[in-house]
Amino acid sequence: MAVNVLIVDDSAVMRAMIQKTMKLSGLQLGEIHQAANGREGLETLERQWIDLVIADINMPVMTGEEMIEHMQANPNLKTIATIVISTEGSQTRIDRLQGKGVRFIHKPFSPEMIRDTVKDVLGCEVFHERSH
Amino acid sequence: MNAVTSGILSDVVVDTLEKLAFLFAVPLEGPAPEDTRELATVRVWFSGPICGGMQLSLSRPVLAELAGNMLGADDASALSADEQHDALRELVNVICGNLLPLIGGNTAEFHIQTPFIPAGGASGAGEFGPTNAASNLSVESGICLVALQLDGPVPAEGVGP
Repeated sequence: MAVNVLIVDDSAVMRAMIQKTMKLSGLQLGEIHQAANGREGLETLERQWIDLVIADINMPVMTGEEMIEHMQANPNLKTIATIVISTEGSQTRIDRLQGKGVRFIHKPFSPEMIRDTVKDVLGCEVFHERSH
Repeated sequence: MNAVTSGILSDVVVDTLEKLAFLFAVPLEGPAPEDTRELATVRVWFSGPICGGMQLSLSRPVLAELAGNMLGADDASALSADEQHDALRELVNVICGNLLPLIGGNTAEFHIQTPFIPAGGASGAGEFGPTNAASNLSVESGICLVALQLDGPVPAEGVGP
């Protein structure tokens, strides 16, 4: 099964870093979509079939936390696996996100952290054999 | 200048440069250069239990290396100025995000604004104002200068890992 991914981050460099890490992780990737803020992310989710959302928190226009709240309120979007990759250091805010079923990865991240978290969220079957 | 906060800031900068871009930094020997025209500068403001700002200036050759390493580019010098500035903004964003819980406590919620390149580049650095903590580092073939400005006192219970 190929996984369609949406990467939401206001930094194009960070989106490229995450995309490259995903490709190297052994994940069976389908389409990769990008958005620069939560609003663009929601618009992409309305148009495209997405299996995994990877989002930052601090972004202009609409934060990642606000985007996740909109996703939670929409029956069509609330079950999409979501991982937040952020510099966020507030345990209060991290706990609040995790309470919504969101996984959290702290920046700066290692490729292994992303691979292992995606495996936890989506299972080993979405990875190529050699990466198990 | 708060020596404890400066030490924490230096640790965060060194750790972030290494983990984000495989750049290794050590304390700068001697004073920071007064001529900052060859440095690329970025600034970010934050609010929360503590409000303030952070300014980071990086030698331009190191900036190219930073962006190249983050993007995995074979030829870092071929990257555009936009890509290099984006990498610089992300660097200060990660440093600021990792520093604030260490000085404000890990339950405090901060809002970090979008980092920006100040008008006038490094020559505008003087407008940043008085700093409460600073970290001057030697990075590869250049330097990295980071200044932290706080609008109020650092809560004593928040300082330290």
